[in-house]
Amino acid sequence: MIAELHNYLVVGAALFVLGAIGFLTRRNLIVMALSAELMLHGVSLNLVAFSQLHGNNEGQAFAIFIITVAACEAGIALALFVALYRRRGTLDAIAWRELGEEGLPPDTSLEEPSIAPLATTPLEFPHLTPAGRVPEVPKRRAPDRV
Amino acid sequence: MSESARQIALWLIPAAPLAASVLIALTGVRWLRQRSHWPCILAVAVSLAASLAVLFVAVPMTPYDLDQGYDPAVVSAQYEWIRIGDLNVSIRLTADAMGAVMLSMVTLVSLLVAIYSAGYMRGDPGYPRFFAEVSLFVFAMCMLVLASNFLVLFVFWEGVGLCSYLLIGFWFQRPSAAAAARKAFLVNRIGDFGFLLGVFLIWVTFGTLNYQGVFDNQNFLQLVAREHPGRLELICLLLFLGAVGKSAQFPLHVWLPDAMEGPSPVSALIHAATMVTAGVYMVARCTPLFVYAPSAQLVVAGIGAFTALMAALIALTQNDLKRVLAYSTISQLGYMFLALGCAAANSHVVTLAVTAAMFHLFTHAFFKALLFLSAGSVMHSMGDVIDMRRFGGLRRVLPLTHLTFLCGAAALAGVPLLSGFWSKDEILAAVAAASHAGDPYGNYFLVLQIMAVATALLTAFYTFRAYFLTFWGVERFPEEAGHHPHESPLVMSVPLLVLAVFAVGIGAIVGPTGLFGHYLAETRGLTSGEEHGLAWGPMLLGTAAAVLGIAGAWLAYVGSPGLPRRAASVWRTAYEWSLNKFYWDEIYQAFVVRPGELLAEVCRLLDQYVVDGLVDGMGRLPVMVGRLLRSTQNGLVQSYALMMVLGLAALLLAVLKAWAGP
Repeated sequence: MIAELHNYLVVGAALFVLGAIGFLTRRNLIVMALSAELMLHGVSLNLVAFSQLHGNNEGQAFAIFIITVAACEAGIALALFVALYRRRGTLDAIAWRELGEEGLPPDTSLEEPSIAPLATTPLEFPHLTPAGRVPEVPKRRAPDRV
Repeated sequence: MSESARQIALWLIPAAPLAASVLIALTGVRWLRQRSHWPCILAVAVSLAASLAVLFVAVPMTPYDLDQGYDPAVVSAQYEWIRIGDLNVSIRLTADAMGAVMLSMVTLVSLLVAIYSAGYMRGDPGYPRFFAEVSLFVFAMCMLVLASNFLVLFVFWEGVGLCSYLLIGFWFQRPSAAAAARKAFLVNRIGDFGFLLGVFLIWVTFGTLNYQGVFDNQNFLQLVAREHPGRLELICLLLFLGAVGKSAQFPLHVWLPDAMEGPSPVSALIHAATMVTAGVYMVARCTPLFVYAPSAQLVVAGIGAFTALMAALIALTQNDLKRVLAYSTISQLGYMFLALGCAAANSHVVTLAVTAAMFHLFTHAFFKALLFLSAGSVMHSMGDVIDMRRFGGLRRVLPLTHLTFLCGAAALAGVPLLSGFWSKDEILAAVAAASHAGDPYGNYFLVLQIMAVATALLTAFYTFRAYFLTFWGVERFPEEAGHHPHESPLVMSVPLLVLAVFAVGIGAIVGPTGLFGHYLAETRGLTSGEEHGLAWGPMLLGTAAAVLGIAGAWLAYVGSPGLPRRAASVWRTAYEWSLNKFYWDEIYQAFVVRPGELLAEVCRLLDQYVVDGLVDGMGRLPVMVGRLLRSTQNGLVQSYALMMVLGLAALLLAVLKAWAGP
């Protein structure tokens, strides 16, 4: 059992570290999100392994909870990425540095991504396919202009 | 006079000018404007009426019996001002005989000067300010006289100093006036510092600051004199240092001649008649202390006599009419101190000495104010020129001013039967009484007596030199005067005439008849002792000095006008010394002002580079740290995450280490 636990923990740690390295080294927003998921699941693996060790279900419950949260988070994150992509036309994290201090010397180690100008026309949002009957709007006579 | 009437009269004396001052200060610029003199004149008139009531009715009716514990004074209700531990200071107005005389003199001269100023200052842009400050001065001066303890005395001592500063610098746009005001204030600070130390020492010694507690307990005074030899001397010398500053005695006399930069009425009121005599008044008031400190009194007499002679020598060659009068004031104040110091000789002379000093103070106020106001009148018609070399022969153009100036000059010179003659005679008599050969200090006072007579001679000479130079000789006007110099308006000439009457007559009325002496003898610390008849010896000496001086002046400036020039070239060095005021200003400049400026410069540099450098450095430190930390806030998610990972690793390491045990 002890040897087995070691195995689980090693895999979990490997997943976590791989996720961390991925998060730190990649600039693509989607890859960063994936790396964050990887770290989460490294942790979930630990929880499940300990749950098995202790013979109860608490760790498993936590793991399921984490998976749920991760799914929600992924949904929100991907939606944000879409919005961000529409604003700047790129998924590079370098394109979003407004929260940093102003006027710092440019970092020459980074090649700047090409950033599309802000969209001036209102964005086209997808139309939902119509379902059911179109509600009837009572027609009213236009008031006479004075 | 009922008790409540007495109280009201006492409170009215300072309250009326204070109210006027506040009123003018608040409404003068907007509303009163060129009518600002009315509140001042009315208030001072009310003060005068109240003072006269106190002088003639209240004080003589007050029960006077020291043995029964009565205070020989009119006393107001007291208002507790400060109570800290044992220190209990209350504002209580007190007027005894000396105070009542002083108050009447102050308010009378103030009233005349205020009326005169209404004409003299007409059209000045600072008209309301002038009257507000004059009213404030009258208030402070009355409170100084009415004070019944040393702390209140000190507060208003400073108050009159402040008013003096404000009024010397009245035309503050002129750099010379601003500098003169500053000089007066700074020099006075030295004296005031000594005075304050004296007050502290009184507190330490007596445990009270009330006059009554300090002066009236003869047994305790004797005990202090026996147990702490030198303590009373020190107190008296420190108090006298205050008087030296305020009354412009050597070595702090240098501010008074410069104070002539102020308007002439101010010179007459503050720097001749009232404020500068506050020092004399204070020393006279402290007579009960000074009688136990004979060596301090010797210092007082010595400084007084030396100042009197020195200032008279300087006055001989000054060309500025007002400066001659300023030096004459210094000289006459020295005379008063000389008289006060004579009390050291023996206990019989005390009352005589104090009476002589106060009497001279009283008459001097009238004739010196008259002289200053007459000089102001000359200035007024000469287009603000006061240099005697630039005008002359004015007696036909300014007949009235000529007459009043002559009255003042004759009184100052000590022409027989005028005011100055009687008071100067009393001082000479006091010095003569002190210089009896048998007394321990007889020889000392003999020297002082010679100096006093020499001063009297010089006084007569320089006064009439100024008179002859201004009013006799060829008629000349400076171009500033225009073509037709005119006599001053009525509002200025009436006060001159009133003062002239006082300068001529008051001495003869109250002096030889003994009115003044008897009245003053009711003061605390004085004894209504033996009668002093007219002292013929000093009187003849004084008369001879006056006549000789006047004759000399006539000879030198009217009889043979080339004489002064020849005398100046013969006694070249002496002439130069006198003309340059014995180089006191230069000496102070070199030994006090320059080192002070150097020290200030060093402090400035120290402040600018060391202190400011430290403070600025402390301010720059966060900026520098911030600049270091700023570069980590680059907005890149990865770098933030890296810091989190590193932090987590460090935390983990620490936890593991702690967990693993030592």
